Amino acid sequence: MENDFFLNAGIPPPLHFEQASSMPAWRSSFSTAIDIQSSTADRNYSLEQSPDCFYNPNWVNKSTDQNIHFESALSPMLSSPAASNSNISNESFVIRELIGKLGNIRGSGEISPHSESLLGIQNSYMGRNGNVSANTSCYSTPLNSPPKLNLPVADHHWKKEKLPSLGNSMALKSSVAEFSADPGFAERAAKFSCFGSRSFNGRTPQLGMNNNNSTEQPPFRSHPAAKNGDKFPRVSSSPSLKALGSQTSMQEMMSALLQDRSEFPISREESTISEQNPNGETNSMDLNSRKRKSVSKGKAKDPPPPISPSPTSTKGTEANENSNAKRSKPSENNGNDQNGSMKAEEDAKGSTSSDEKQTKTGPKPSEPPKDYIHVRARRGQATDSHSLAERVRREKISERMKLLQDLVPNCNKVTGKALMLDEIINYVQSLQRQVEFLSMKLSSVNTRLDFNMETLMSKEIFQQNSGLPQHPIFPSDSSAQAICGHQRQQNPALCNGAVDPLDNTSLCQALGCNYLLSWTTAPYFGPDGLFRAAPSGVL
Amino acid sequence: MYRPMNSPNPNSLKSRFTKGFVKALIRINKNHPRSASSSISSSPREIRRRYHKIKTASYASMACAVGRRRAWSRALLWKIRNQACNGGVVRRSIGSRSHYSMKKRVEQNKVNELRKVVPGGEGMDTWSLLEETAHYMKCLTTQVKVMRTIVEIHSTTT
Repeated sequence: MENDFFLNAGIPPPLHFEQASSMPAWRSSFSTAIDIQSSTADRNYSLEQSPDCFYNPNWVNKSTDQNIHFESALSPMLSSPAASNSNISNESFVIRELIGKLGNIRGSGEISPHSESLLGIQNSYMGRNGNVSANTSCYSTPLNSPPKLNLPVADHHWKKEKLPSLGNSMALKSSVAEFSADPGFAERAAKFSCFGSRSFNGRTPQLGMNNNNSTEQPPFRSHPAAKNGDKFPRVSSSPSLKALGSQTSMQEMMSALLQDRSEFPISREESTISEQNPNGETNSMDLNSRKRKSVSKGKAKDPPPPISPSPTSTKGTEANENSNAKRSKPSENNGNDQNGSMKAEEDAKGSTSSDEKQTKTGPKPSEPPKDYIHVRARRGQATDSHSLAERVRREKISERMKLLQDLVPNCNKVTGKALMLDEIINYVQSLQRQVEFLSMKLSSVNTRLDFNMETLMSKEIFQQNSGLPQHPIFPSDSSAQAICGHQRQQNPALCNGAVDPLDNTSLCQALGCNYLLSWTTAPYFGPDGLFRAAPSGVL
Repeated sequence: MYRPMNSPNPNSLKSRFTKGFVKALIRINKNHPRSASSSISSSPREIRRRYHKIKTASYASMACAVGRRRAWSRALLWKIRNQACNGGVVRRSIGSRSHYSMKKRVEQNKVNELRKVVPGGEGMDTWSLLEETAHYMKCLTTQVKVMRTIVEIHSTTT
């Protein structure tokens, strides 16, 4: 019974799960588990620290003894007959109920009536996650969007929906949505059922990506777990997942819900929920895990071939969720330094792209080997490898342009590649002209180059010399005149002569015109409409 | 990549460039002695030669300070050596032809212009070109600063 799976989990002795037959004992043991688990520094990764816990479906797959036990324990909570559906669905539902109750235990410390437990769960969840605004069904919609389902109101709906909907893909979505929205559910389920840290983590991205396969979701890049690739080893397949035998659409729904996760605990919830779902998508899971591992620069490739085609009825809601998920991506990206700007940028592009309609239907290009940079096509964009590579290249270039924009002074308002390139070219040319001018100055000014190396170096390096940006626009009339004066002393002919012996040197031109001279000594003129000289020969 | 400009780090790019450049200046001055009394005798040709040498020395010392890590410094040194040998070969542009729209073509033209400006930019792809441009810009600013300081020092001392 519970003893088996709890013992297998390797839970330390204090967690005496042998006596889980009685609800209070179970409750206490679970509370202990909660305490132990929550005492870890990082709750998000407590699973990893815990010993190998086996997977929840084992729990489900256990004999019906468990089920009977659960049912007996939870029967007071159920307002609708739990036996109306198959055993499995009953098990799932019962388990969820139980976990919900346990979650409430955590929140409130005692088992309360079903509705209250749900409310408690919701409240505790809300309290825990500030960014989730009263979303019990936050997983069905983006974090910032209002919940589709209201858990307290839908208590009965929930129960009623769940049982009959377990066999119904449509209803599964809503129930799963609510269920997944159960705040502490995943955490508790994870902790109590001791999802194997590896297997659990491995599934989180996988399952989160599953729905992406068929729904063209943006990549699950902002997932914090993705950053820690080592924590998500590949799990090839989960027999326990398959054992449940629920519909793939539910899986997809869960994945759609999961993909918005940016918090690790929430992702755990999702993964636990989806773990309960039958998984015919082990392949996609593999590929998704591979994808998650290779996420580095925010590139993503198309997901592997989709799972069994989802019922058409689910596509509509999936589309909605996808769009919502896409819109929510930028919010997720805020916390992701690595991919934030790019992702938001890409999402904006992706949602507005009207390229080849590559959607959830149809097989996607197979995933390349693991050492490639994985790119995921955004919704509505072409997904052939050429356009993907092109897009990656464009993104890299735009990233570089932004860096350059920071280097070039007074370029904050310039947008667009062409203008920016103009500015960069002008800036580099102006710098080169300054070098020319200074070298000319050096050749003429330094009449005695018997300077002391040490003193020069010391002066040079430690001197707070005026850098480029410090020069006023029309600075150095003094220096200009000094040059001119000096030149006049040296080469009156040069100054007065119309012939310019020094071909195309800015100095000679400047000698004839103070304005030009000051321009050459001046810093680079930004895009404010100030004078810009035509490019001159450099080297 | 970005070092503090005023740090007394002896190994900084700025220090390396300054040392090399000053040495080159001394060398040039020795080779082209100028009379301290009056520079009327120095012909424009000599001035031009000196200017050219100083300019080349400036770029060469900066490229040496950067080393061979960067494509532009390698290209610059290569070009200088070729100029010294009077056998400079102009590298052909290996830009890829792309069938973009007009807008993209304009942009591609600008990228090609940038290639001309940045040494060694001819044989690079756009992304590498932008990276080299960034580093080249940084080194150019250092170069200009150092040269300006030297000029100021000498203008005050002389």
